[in-house]
Amino acid sequence: MVQITLNGQTVEASAGRRLVEVIKEQGVAITNLCYIDGLDPYAGCRTCIVDVVGARPTPLQLACVTQVADGMVVNTETAEVKRTRQSVMSLILANHPDRCLTCHRRVHCMPGDICLRDDVVTHRCLTCSKNYRCELQTSCEIVDQGDFEEPWVGEPRSYYETPPPEPDRGNPFLEYDPQMCILCTRCVRACDDLRHTGAVTLSGKGHRTMIAFGTGGSIHESDCNFCGACIDVCPTATLMEKPNKWVGRADDWTNSACNSCAVGCTISYGVADDRPVIVRPDRLNPFSRDQICVRGRFGYVAVAERERLTRSLVRAGQRLLPATFDQALTTAVDALTAVKSAHGADAIAVLGSPLATNEEAYLLARLARAIGTPHVDFSHGMVHRAVADAMRAAFSTDRVPATLTDLEQAQTVVVAALDVEDSHQVVSVRLKDAVIKRKAQVVIVSPKWTALDRWAAAIVRVAPGQEAAALQGLADGGSAPAGVDAAAWARALNVVSRGKGASAAVVYAPNGADGAARAGAAATAAANLAIALRGAEAGSAFHYLPTDANVLGIADMGIAPGAGGKSFPEIIEAAQRGEVKALVIHADNPLLNAPGRTAIEAALQGLQALVVIDSLRSTTAEYATAVLAAAPFFATDGTITNADRRVLHQRSAQRARGQQSDGVAILAALANRLGDREAPSGFTEAHEALAAATGYPTMAQVDGAPAQVRALVATSTTAKPQPAPAPTPAHSGLTLATGRSLYTSWDAASIHSDDADKLHREEAVWLNPRDAEAAGVRTGDVVDLTDGIASVRIAVKLDDGVAAGTAYVPHYYDGGALMALLPLGGAGASTAALRVRALQPA
Amino acid sequence: MPLETEARAQIRALVAEFRPEHGDLLAAMHSVQHHLGYLSSEAMEVIAEQLGLFPAEVYGAASFYEEFRFTPPAQTNIRWCSGPACRLKNGGGIRDAILATLGLHDIPGDTEDGRAGVILGQCNGACELAPMVWLEQPSTHRIEFVGNLNAARAVRMARALRDGATIEASIEETKRA
Repeated sequence: MVQITLNGQTVEASAGRRLVEVIKEQGVAITNLCYIDGLDPYAGCRTCIVDVVGARPTPLQLACVTQVADGMVVNTETAEVKRTRQSVMSLILANHPDRCLTCHRRVHCMPGDICLRDDVVTHRCLTCSKNYRCELQTSCEIVDQGDFEEPWVGEPRSYYETPPPEPDRGNPFLEYDPQMCILCTRCVRACDDLRHTGAVTLSGKGHRTMIAFGTGGSIHESDCNFCGACIDVCPTATLMEKPNKWVGRADDWTNSACNSCAVGCTISYGVADDRPVIVRPDRLNPFSRDQICVRGRFGYVAVAERERLTRSLVRAGQRLLPATFDQALTTAVDALTAVKSAHGADAIAVLGSPLATNEEAYLLARLARAIGTPHVDFSHGMVHRAVADAMRAAFSTDRVPATLTDLEQAQTVVVAALDVEDSHQVVSVRLKDAVIKRKAQVVIVSPKWTALDRWAAAIVRVAPGQEAAALQGLADGGSAPAGVDAAAWARALNVVSRGKGASAAVVYAPNGADGAARAGAAATAAANLAIALRGAEAGSAFHYLPTDANVLGIADMGIAPGAGGKSFPEIIEAAQRGEVKALVIHADNPLLNAPGRTAIEAALQGLQALVVIDSLRSTTAEYATAVLAAAPFFATDGTITNADRRVLHQRSAQRARGQQSDGVAILAALANRLGDREAPSGFTEAHEALAAATGYPTMAQVDGAPAQVRALVATSTTAKPQPAPAPTPAHSGLTLATGRSLYTSWDAASIHSDDADKLHREEAVWLNPRDAEAAGVRTGDVVDLTDGIASVRIAVKLDDGVAAGTAYVPHYYDGGALMALLPLGGAGASTAALRVRALQPA
Repeated sequence: MPLETEARAQIRALVAEFRPEHGDLLAAMHSVQHHLGYLSSEAMEVIAEQLGLFPAEVYGAASFYEEFRFTPPAQTNIRWCSGPACRLKNGGGIRDAILATLGLHDIPGDTEDGRAGVILGQCNGACELAPMVWLEQPSTHRIEFVGNLNAARAVRMARALRDGATIEASIEETKRA
């Protein structure tokens, strides 16, 4: 640390830091329109000029380029500095509508007022979507630009005389309006250096310079993945979120956590008129920091508010009719009590959701105990427990100390995931960081091409189900599994053998549709590989990424079969046999989520009582006896436990609408009526109770160090290699690969919305051209994908990035239609081969 | 990773000799434009893949240069010389006459039927011919110069091209009294 003098104050700062960051940290107002914190300076806007006493050749220096040195004397407010900044700003305003920016009357104006200075409506700040949240506007105020120049009126000036370039409003997420652009290039650098997506560039030259996406066409045809990092850094209204663009000026901000995947990025909801209108990354989570993905940024608007339940529903014959909460609760309790008294508590089963909060899961487990049933699970419970068992066998605990932040230091990383870019995008971003900044070596084991491939040192393209064999082969240094390219295998082995040591890691992300056997085998092999790489410390190098946000949390809360309890597939089978007669489902949709859709549908149909607690009228809710309307995730207070076992506080950004209730309150009311008089009915009490019961950190601890407190992490681990899992026999037809895709929203897929995938990018089966040729289909053909019993109608896309013998379909396609092609319990060795039946040419 | 289509395979063959980090980007783009007449989205993607760049980087570089185009070229291009000698001898007037005849507003531009287009040329030192244009046929790589133009001859030439005449016939038009 060194000392500098900033405007007469002595300030401590670490030597070598960029001066502009230090100035901002001190709360001194400084304009910096092109600088992105943490990245190398671009020095394009030149508005951060300060006076550094004694600097050569002139004391006027750019604060973004200047590095802090001991004894530096910096003044930001001298008359010369001010004048220079104003003249620089004047150059920037030369190609931006400037009349409001330099007008002292703006604060008195309303959007409909007639401008005394004759400024046209389309050029006014007052009619700009970014009014009062615009960095350029603030910057003009900081430098007092109105003092420097009058609004530009009456003289010819190209900005006002040439027609504005065409905006791009063609996609549901990102709007691009080039007439607002000041060419700071922050978006270009954010996309390149923060995200490594490289979808944004400067195009043209001279006066015609513009930013452009991809090869210059529309944004949705480029390789942009709509993460919105460019929106975060844009100082003007050039790049804006499309949803709520015109109302995105938040009155208040609510720190929360994203529940779209197990990374658990911390986010802030901007709230206006009691609803979230904008999402920004919140830097609390030390892994996600300033990055989120399209799901985190736009998840809250995936489903229109009118499509959420605001009233509870009760079955009347064939229909579900609106009812008050008390009526629905009474119907639910009566139905469950009737089943319990006639057939015993054993005839009731309870299903939780990996999207629920810990408090909800805790109360759901209590509800099950109040009912007296041991049959508690969630639709991917078998997969999670198979992985947890494998981890316990290898490391003697499934609560390993590995944390994702370690991944950023790893030098060699083996990623076993279908598509980590789609399922856990921020992990993929950090891996790209590691490759680019520290030359880390990444090996990918996957049946399909992913956006991370470009940075991988080796790619092992395996058929679905052969991941375990490949991972075990990498651990043993064995020969290439069947179907794997020999050269790629040699490269992978080379990386793994050179990577052994203190900075190697394994990332394993199972898919919910994988059967327990397949997931367990892959986890065992992945753990063996971690042990081969890191020896005794393997527990600190094994990163298990569940697909959904709170899998670890709800498992901790006891959403798992009790003694003699049935797992999810067993519950469904028992329901089909008529042994289970009632089901309580909280915030899950097994028809979307779980393999074996035909069996599940039959089971739901045969139930005497189905109680659904959800914020949506999901496809499962259609079978319900009573649906209790819960508030959506962004209106729910709770905690979630991410893949790191960090306990994140998910805060409510809006009040419950209509007759929605908090999930905790609904579950408490149910438990209460079913015999658990002590069930806590508020979030705070529920958390106190679960902390006492499970050893979780208290809310004081969670809020005291946000996103830092980890739950139940084992202090010591062992490293016992397990016997290699038995190889999965290959079969001759196509094998289905499916997993979490990027754009299809869980909520919208759960109600089977046509717009579940707003970009309509994920509505196809991807086939290897060789397989397609054999089946006689081409890109665009509509085919029947069939296992001989069920079939799914779907369009074909040919892609040589899919392993031969593999059919890749996103899990949430057509509301989970695909789940009919998998047996109950998930894809396993016995999964039938798929066939493609051409229906019609494109 | 997009599929290997026939067009893609053809472009891939065109750029196969170029290597990443060899300063080969411009050469690769020239090669594609020379053979196909323009840089399609697909072509830029293939070049990006070949050179280990993002498609946006290829487009960013290509769009800097007036010479690269992103739409298929017209049958015949009039390359208007923008050099100082031509300008001194009413090159600007020649340009305006050609643009007006073809119904275009600016350089570069193509007629709607794709028969004729006007693109920007740079001085190649044949200033004794000023004001001049080149007539180019991208499909055959044929290039003819037409010098010592005046507005009337330029209009006759542009009219002939607009109406679908060959390069020879158009040049003949400029020679009529």
